[in-house]
Amino acid sequence: MAASIGAAPCRTLFRRSCGKRLSAAWGLLGGARGLVAQGETHLGFQTVPEAEKEQRVYQVFESVAKKYDIMNDSMSFGIHRLWKDILLHQMNPYPGTQLLDVAGGTGDIAFRFINYVRSQREYRLRQKLKSHQNLSWQEISKSYQEEALKPLGGSQVVICDINKEMVKVGKQKAQLLGYTEGLSWVVGNAEELPFDDDKFDIYTIAFGIRNVTHIDQALQEAYRVLQPGGRFLCLEFSQVNNPLISRLYDLYSFQVIPVLGEIIAGDWKSYQYLVESIRQFPAQEEFKAMIEDAGFLKVEYRNLTAGIVAIHSGFKL
Amino acid sequence: MLTSENTRSGAGARPEVAARRTMLGRATALRRGLQVAAGRTRGPDSGRGSAQPAGLDPALLGLLVCPLSKRPLRYEESSNELINEELGIAYPVVDGIPNMIPQAARKIEQAWHNYSGKKYHEIVVWQML
Repeated sequence: MAASIGAAPCRTLFRRSCGKRLSAAWGLLGGARGLVAQGETHLGFQTVPEAEKEQRVYQVFESVAKKYDIMNDSMSFGIHRLWKDILLHQMNPYPGTQLLDVAGGTGDIAFRFINYVRSQREYRLRQKLKSHQNLSWQEISKSYQEEALKPLGGSQVVICDINKEMVKVGKQKAQLLGYTEGLSWVVGNAEELPFDDDKFDIYTIAFGIRNVTHIDQALQEAYRVLQPGGRFLCLEFSQVNNPLISRLYDLYSFQVIPVLGEIIAGDWKSYQYLVESIRQFPAQEEFKAMIEDAGFLKVEYRNLTAGIVAIHSGFKL
Repeated sequence: MLTSENTRSGAGARPEVAARRTMLGRATALRRGLQVAAGRTRGPDSGRGSAQPAGLDPALLGLLVCPLSKRPLRYEESSNELINEELGIAYPVVDGIPNMIPQAARKIEQAWHNYSGKKYHEIVVWQML
């Protein structure tokens, strides 16, 4: 497959040598990501009709749902946890924030958000108590009561994922880890969100947007449901800048990951799709332009791990 | 498909139905219809389905709208569904998780689809009286 070619650091050379449609007349849809016919889209390195992509992606995640977290840990050697922690630090939410986590499946971002907000709130309450040295016992007990009643300070997370299995796994995980309040689960399509306009303060989509058939529609929906002043955050695999790391990364992706997928999850094809879909996703600058097209302002991106992963951030102002 | 709260005031059809079709009658019927459908809400806050474990999280009711028309939904406790009357579709709630994918929605059989432009509760009240 493509692994044998892996030497070329140049992206377009890499893609064209995979033997896809080369006729320039078809190059309308897909832009720099490769040439596809009208009404067709990428499914990894294959070209499929758009209507089919959603269903195929659904099947991929349905089959990997139970082993999703284990696979994430083994494929990235646990680094994905660091990436998600960095995302939370960049988000820096305060108590009272309404978060919409799209493609949030197993709830990693949501749980981290709750932990973050909870610890922030405890920290602030403690600071408040420290600064008022001559509080009466009544006031002190009242502040402890407040903390017990509203440990999240009014924050709420809604986790939306298109796949029922992923949401089920996520909900079980939440019960297991003891996250009882502030979490709501919805099965919904990122291209047609079941939420009204101007509802959320932060919209995150972590490792999900490359699976969406119409990324621009998903971005427009993100713009719609965010409040003015709201923030869009996207954590996604992106293009590596460094040629040496790019070679190692390609080697690892195409030789090791599908094998791991077969051993651990019993599913080679799904993980082949995964690594291919990473290659097909637009580069940092192109994705930034797409976010700007949707109406977001002050769009920035930040590369993590030499560009393997990037956090794109935009504001609705 | 009539829901429980609307059949409560059922008194059977009477010949006065035709006589009621005046502007005044329509207004009265509207008001009656609103009282009849007291449990029904235009917006989110039903406050009924929150106690059941398989029911819907009340916090979500305030947020969810139909993904197709972006209009508010009504939570139907008996069948555990979120209903959009205008489009006549119902989204199932499975294990407390609402499934808001349009392809998963069920179309509701409606006899009153043939009444062009009339509102739901008006028609129900016509049938009651």
